[in-house]
Amino acid sequence: MRIPGLGNAADNPKHVTPGDDPEHHPRARDGRAPNVMRIGEWVPMRQHRDEEEVDFAIVGTGAGGGTLACRLAEGGLSVVAFDAGPYFRPLEDFASDESHQSKLYWTDERIVDGENPLQMGSNNSGKAVGGSTVHYAMVALRFRPEWFKTRTLMGYGADWPLDWREMWRYYDQVEDDLKISGPVNYPWGPYRRRYHRRAHEINAAAKVLARGAEAMGIGWTPTPLATVSAPHGDAPPCVYRGFCTLGCSTNAKQSVLVSYLPRALKAGAEIRDLAMVGRIETRNGRATGVHYFREGKWRFQRAKNVVVAGYAIETPRLLLNSANQEFPDGLANSSGLVGRNLMVQGNQAVWGVFDEEIRSYKGPPSLAISEHWNYDDKGHGPFAKDFFGGYSYMSQGPLPQLWANTQASAHGLWGEALVAEMQRYNHVAGLKVVSEYMPQERNRVTLADVKDQYGLPVARITYSWCDNDKALNRHALKFLREALSAAGGREVWDQGDDTCHLNGTARMGADPRTSVVDADCRSWDIPNLYVCDGSVFPTVGGVNPSLTIQAVALRTADRILARRR
Amino acid sequence: MPMPSDRASRPPRRRAASVKRRVAPVRVEAAVHPVVVLAAVAAGAGLLTWFAAGRSKPLGLAAGGRSYSSRGHDVTASAAQRLNHASTMLAASVLFDSGLEHYRGQFFNRAMYTPIVVSSVTLAASLHGAGDTDTGSSRVRHAVQALAGLTGLIGFGFHAYNVGKREGGYSFQNLFYSAPIGAPMALTLAGVLGVVAERVRDADPDEPHLAGLSAGRSLAVATAGMLVGTTLEAGLLHFRGAFQNPAMFVPVTLPPLAAALLVRAATKPEGASQATAKWGMWAVSAMGVGGVAFHAYGVARMMGGWANWRQNLIDGPPLPAPPSFSGVALGGLAALELIERSRIRF
Ligand SMILES: Cc1cc2nc3c(=O)[nH]c(=O)nc-3n(C[C@H](O)[C@H](O)[C@H](O)COP(=O)(O)OP(=O)(O)OC[C@H]3O[C@@H](n4cnc5c(N)ncnc54)[C@H](O)[C@@H]3O)c2cc1C
Ligand code: SF4
Repeated sequence: MRIPGLGNAADNPKHVTPGDDPEHHPRARDGRAPNVMRIGEWVPMRQHRDEEEVDFAIVGTGAGGGTLACRLAEGGLSVVAFDAGPYFRPLEDFASDESHQSKLYWTDERIVDGENPLQMGSNNSGKAVGGSTVHYAMVALRFRPEWFKTRTLMGYGADWPLDWREMWRYYDQVEDDLKISGPVNYPWGPYRRRYHRRAHEINAAAKVLARGAEAMGIGWTPTPLATVSAPHGDAPPCVYRGFCTLGCSTNAKQSVLVSYLPRALKAGAEIRDLAMVGRIETRNGRATGVHYFREGKWRFQRAKNVVVAGYAIETPRLLLNSANQEFPDGLANSSGLVGRNLMVQGNQAVWGVFDEEIRSYKGPPSLAISEHWNYDDKGHGPFAKDFFGGYSYMSQGPLPQLWANTQASAHGLWGEALVAEMQRYNHVAGLKVVSEYMPQERNRVTLADVKDQYGLPVARITYSWCDNDKALNRHALKFLREALSAAGGREVWDQGDDTCHLNGTARMGADPRTSVVDADCRSWDIPNLYVCDGSVFPTVGGVNPSLTIQAVALRTADRILARRR
Repeated sequence: MPMPSDRASRPPRRRAASVKRRVAPVRVEAAVHPVVVLAAVAAGAGLLTWFAAGRSKPLGLAAGGRSYSSRGHDVTASAAQRLNHASTMLAASVLFDSGLEHYRGQFFNRAMYTPIVVSSVTLAASLHGAGDTDTGSSRVRHAVQALAGLTGLIGFGFHAYNVGKREGGYSFQNLFYSAPIGAPMALTLAGVLGVVAERVRDADPDEPHLAGLSAGRSLAVATAGMLVGTTLEAGLLHFRGAFQNPAMFVPVTLPPLAAALLVRAATKPEGASQATAKWGMWAVSAMGVGGVAFHAYGVARMMGGWANWRQNLIDGPPLPAPPSFSGVALGGLAALELIERSRIRF
């Protein structure tokens, strides 16, 4: 008898590297899919023929798609979820090597322009079963309730067609599903249920944030994270090695790959890895299925409903690429808003050197957080707010290669100077924001003339800051500089141009003229076409988005199931 | 700023062939792991205590013959031995637990060696008393147990200071992750029960008293308090573990119930049957031992399980911790014995 949790270690010397190559040969086939929690094991998987009209075809298995697939399958629907990326086995496929792990990123060609062209890849998009959550930083925050109605209550952005109290219930659900490890009492926002795991021990980098916040007279707290601090099923507690953003090889991290997708498989969903969806077919105003490329050829899966969940670049790209005679401007695009209002979030940082050893790379990268500036709308003195929106900021833990890159690019060091700076790596700590940028129609995803390896036009991503964004950047950097210095940081310098997260290119709303989908993530134009991922955000708020993406996905599933009854 | 790389690098190793014969001073300590030294010191101190405690004289012999009824004598001797079983359990739990945890803390502060040595001598004194069927106390044992009691209190002070000085002060976060605030008190409990054992040996077997109060009653109330204290410690750490396994609720529910039974027992008339309370104590004792198995399962659920024992014994649930419940429960049994005025045969 095998007791769960015994000897499923990646560092178990008895285990061998799997013989198959998940990046070139699909693993989910022949009626089985990898059991990601156990070395070498499989779980049975229900499969559908292409000609069979399944209830739901879902494009993308990340925070939005994977979560939705799980709940729809558990609700008794037949589901096929496609992902262009490989089906990794974290215990076996993930190396402790930054270069090697770039296999998790979406590095297909994309064209960037605008006044502040975005950097794409490692920092914002993944290509794997489980989506970007396979290499996300696990920060699991709720929106501030007012952000669901920023236009009405705060005078900027656009309202969500959702009520925060309803969202609070779905946040409860996703926090329970992922066993979020968070503080006993969260200091900001209205009452919420206690987290299902206690917060992790904070590292020295997080203590720097704590000292800085205490010196500046604002609150801080250990960050709620989607990695368990006590066992959960086959997932062992976090071992604090800090490889989270390059794929957690212990499964402590509750990515969609190890949380919702195993449940989805158990409930009868089919997952197709290495399956790139190129076009959605429509007839008589309804979606009829998806064209996808797998194992060397294009196929067509029939479906009663189609969900697009490819994240805020690939989702509009697929909708635009699916233009046909019926919908010449792309699917769901009668408002002309598909691809518009692309929002990233600010990711500026300040870095400094400390006398004591910090070793910031130990443990998950963001173990402490302050959401003060998300909840304080005025500020005062030198930190009076002269802009809309807010930001949270967190401690940081860059791994060596990323740190060398940052020093070379953002700090402009090279040669002797770079080597000398890297000697101080163990003594560096930094603070980084996740800030709210405004939705702007000029920031958008369109199609370029260039084609990718599947012969599909690639995305052109145009991005520029507005004055409000710039004012926010200034405030944030100024505050972080003071906080870091107050904590004892010396030689403090700014990293001023980093961004993260992608949202908003198929926004939800209450009016078909000003939004792409309704509150249930269903497109206004095509009744059996849904968008369920970061694209539906009308505004982004000053917190990391995936908990909200997942809460929206849970709600969408409930709404779809309720309509069937 | 001192950087790791600033430290003088080691002199390059000479190649064996070119080594000239030179008489070098023999350096023994380099070959022995410091933990081995510590273990040897602890064991040595324990042995010394054992021998120093010698063989205690039965009461009344000096005065020429027994002057107390043998029944009362039986009861106090048995209760004293049982109290020493209790302090043995607790001292052993502290020895292994503080050894593990302070090793984990890399003996960052020299004072962290103290509980290991003190719990070793306490263990020796307790074992010595546990095997001593005679009445009459031993001065060495008495002194050692008192030292344990004091050391635990000082340790508590150290731990409390460590918690409070961290960012965030006396927050849950620091209570979870800095020095466990309640842990040193287990040594105090060992010491207190050990001291009481000596006092009971010296007490009038027909009407044993402690500090002017009925020995059985006061001990029952005291051990009830100890059970509650130990429950608080377990509760804090199991809360940190988010009670992820339902079994984690047992040590926060069963011991308080047993403590209530003890208090009730203290109110019963002398000689009345204490069967329920006794069952409560046996249940808590069994829970303490069974807890080790649960913690072993917890170790298995860590990354790498038992195959990675060198890390997981340190970072997983502490194997030596649960038996401290058994220790306190044995103290409770001794109290019941004294109240009931009859020996419990086991
Ligand atoms: C380094 C990093 C750190 C992050 N840290 C955090 C954090 O701490 N907290 C937080 O809340 N968020 C974080 N995020 C953001 C978070 O990961 C994303 O917001 C979230 O995963 C987006 O969910 P999604 O469902 O919209 O898309 P994804 O999770 O990206 O899923 C999209 C999936 O769709 C697939 N796909 C796309 N197009 C197609 C197609 N045409 N055919 C087939 N498959 C397709 C992709 O391969 C991908 O797997 C981080 C992101 C990164 C990159
Ligand atoms: S630090 Fe924890 S969550 Fe991050 S990779 Fe390691 S085990 Fe996974």
